[in-house]
Amino acid sequence: MPSRWADTEEDAVEEERRREEKEAKKRAKAEKQRQAEEEAQRVKAAQRNGIEGERDGDGRAAKRRRLSPDTATDTPPVENEASRLLRFHTPSWQPCRSIERFHLLNHIEEGSYGFVSRAREESTGEIVAVKKLKIDPVRDGGFPVTALREIQCLNAAHHRHIVNLREVVTGERGQGKRDVYLVMEFLEHDLQTLQDEMDEPFMPSEIKTLMLQLASAVEFLHDHWILHRDLKTSNILMNNRGEIKLADFGMARFCGDPPPNNLTQLVVTLWYRSPELLLGTKTYDAAIDMWSLGCIFGELLSKKPLLQGKNEVDQLSKIFELCGIPSSDAWPEFRSLPNARTLRLPSQSIKAAQGSIVRSKFPILTNAGASLLDNLLSLNPAHRPSAKEVLEDAYFRENPRPKPTAMFPTFPSKAGQEKRRRKQTPNAPVRGEAPNLGEIDYSSIFKGRELEEKGGGFALKVG
Amino acid sequence: MAIITGLSHLANPLATAVQLETSSSHLDGIPKDLEDWVRFESSKLLQAAGILLRLPQELIAQSIIILCRYWIGADGGSMLDHDPKDAAAAALYMTAKPSPHPVSVRQVFVVFSYLTSRSGFDYKMANEGDVTNWHISGVDYEAARSRLYAIEAHILQVLGLATHVALPFTLCINYLQTLDVFKASRREGEAVAKLAFQHLNTALLSPQLLYLTHQPTALATAAIYLAAREVKVKLPETSWWEVFDVDREELGFLAVAMRSVEGFAREERLKWEGRRVPMTIEGLREEIERRRTREVGGAR
Repeated sequence: MPSRWADTEEDAVEEERRREEKEAKKRAKAEKQRQAEEEAQRVKAAQRNGIEGERDGDGRAAKRRRLSPDTATDTPPVENEASRLLRFHTPSWQPCRSIERFHLLNHIEEGSYGFVSRAREESTGEIVAVKKLKIDPVRDGGFPVTALREIQCLNAAHHRHIVNLREVVTGERGQGKRDVYLVMEFLEHDLQTLQDEMDEPFMPSEIKTLMLQLASAVEFLHDHWILHRDLKTSNILMNNRGEIKLADFGMARFCGDPPPNNLTQLVVTLWYRSPELLLGTKTYDAAIDMWSLGCIFGELLSKKPLLQGKNEVDQLSKIFELCGIPSSDAWPEFRSLPNARTLRLPSQSIKAAQGSIVRSKFPILTNAGASLLDNLLSLNPAHRPSAKEVLEDAYFRENPRPKPTAMFPTFPSKAGQEKRRRKQTPNAPVRGEAPNLGEIDYSSIFKGRELEEKGGGFALKVG
Repeated sequence: MAIITGLSHLANPLATAVQLETSSSHLDGIPKDLEDWVRFESSKLLQAAGILLRLPQELIAQSIIILCRYWIGADGGSMLDHDPKDAAAAALYMTAKPSPHPVSVRQVFVVFSYLTSRSGFDYKMANEGDVTNWHISGVDYEAARSRLYAIEAHILQVLGLATHVALPFTLCINYLQTLDVFKASRREGEAVAKLAFQHLNTALLSPQLLYLTHQPTALATAAIYLAAREVKVKLPETSWWEVFDVDREELGFLAVAMRSVEGFAREERLKWEGRRVPMTIEGLREEIERRRTREVGGAR
């Protein structure tokens, strides 16, 4: 036996030999297992043939899982007890398979922490989307926590309108680390790119269908204790059959009730971020997703993002311009939020500036639609409806009815053919220091609003 | 027969028969019993480290289960690939990371080096220990950190990112409520619950890998069955376990398996008297070598 201290070629050779030996053993084992399976298949087939003639067994699986792979013919036990027990479908696990089974076709998009490409699975010919994770162990503290959460959340969220994570595969080992790829179903469009390409906004009936699908996905998530925390049109994928699926769970996390009090406020892309997050709350709940849903609703109606702030301060001022300023009656907790203490707001006496102008901004919307949007964009998170309540809203029951997905028009797919242009939209926030808004003076944001209101052909008296 | 598909908060992925039959460590030449001892020691180490870090028991249980999953099967990780104590540290770090109670690499290392530097440890020590005053040198830390990241990546790769773990603790309380155990006598009910939890925690250390072969529903039911007998609380005379979808055969197997852990622990104490189960690759190699020379000596 070579000395333990020698660090020579012999050692390397020895190491290599050991590895090869192990591989050989593994292969032998796999072969044995395959033969055993074939044998079992044959036996099963034989049994089936026998049973058809005699009908003395009912072919049910053994009650307890066999824990040793014996090749012996084990006839299914004949059960005469009446009890019928619930059985879990028990998945197992296996090491990540290799990315080499996929042929990369074209680049779709680069997000804040991954590249997305279109790819074809070699064995089946199926088209999938492959997201390569950016992994930097020193920066992220090992495997990025966002990726762990994304995978855990996607594994827990199997829903018609949530993108399906098929598997996680790894690249070849290079310089001691491996790349990790998420393999997901491929959809032709995302709502943001699609809206950019369209000449006209979606029709009211189409918007209803989209909102219903989206709300059902969000309801499912909240029902399963998952906050998405980055709802926006570019994260909503759509296929050519009018079906949408929610994607990009990089910000998502499990969250109990009551929520933990150390959540990061650095979530949700700026334009879709709720006022309580902007004001620096550390504990929040599903209502932040509902605010984003409201922003998406507004965006679908007008074909452009509803609140396009340039930075946190500007975003807040845009929100207050649209939704009015928070009053202590409507939102008692507002003043105790970290960033709210230094805010200077217009004095309470300017009555016209108090209320929300959501209704007057969307004159084409029916009463029910306007009140749904207004409620989703409530400054006080407690006043926003839940996803379940959205699904039951009167707006979806009045004419025009939601359009069946099969009737949706089809569009040429950007993702399917060519590289996408990078949009001038903000990205989801990255981890780090939360911005301190400092002293901000909002007292003048409503200057001229009264003139504006009066300038219209008619004036709505609110309140 | 209804089938529940997909992962839920009730169900776990389970090990296959092939995965249970052999392990990467075994293929590398580690005898079966030594492998069991190392796994037992690692699980205890994780439990103690978790207590020292003041982590909730759910997290500790999850990390033990993740580590056990990592070490089984021919495609799993071998105890001769990485020091078992580092693998345990990585499992704990990784499990805590996305949870509401993340711990830093430094915290994990301080706790592990504290626990492994002693001649032995018990949970009492862990309960009373205080992490705040311990340190780890810069060079040690850098090296240890990159080792830990490498093992973390390997664990995730081996598990195919299947880090989902469902636990039986809340189910257990739920079942006890269903059985009206608290209603009859609150004091007795609490005693049953406490004992049942103890059985569930003990089962984490089982060499039979109960959490890798049985669903949480069955584990909770078996723990209640044992606890109720020990406290002498009367449960319905019918086959009440069938209400929780456990059949008599599985219940019997689990009850026996859960109670056998105690004997296993006693045997460990006898067998390893005065020595510690090796928790490094080098220690394992020495132990294998020692056994071989002893065998040769015995044959002569």
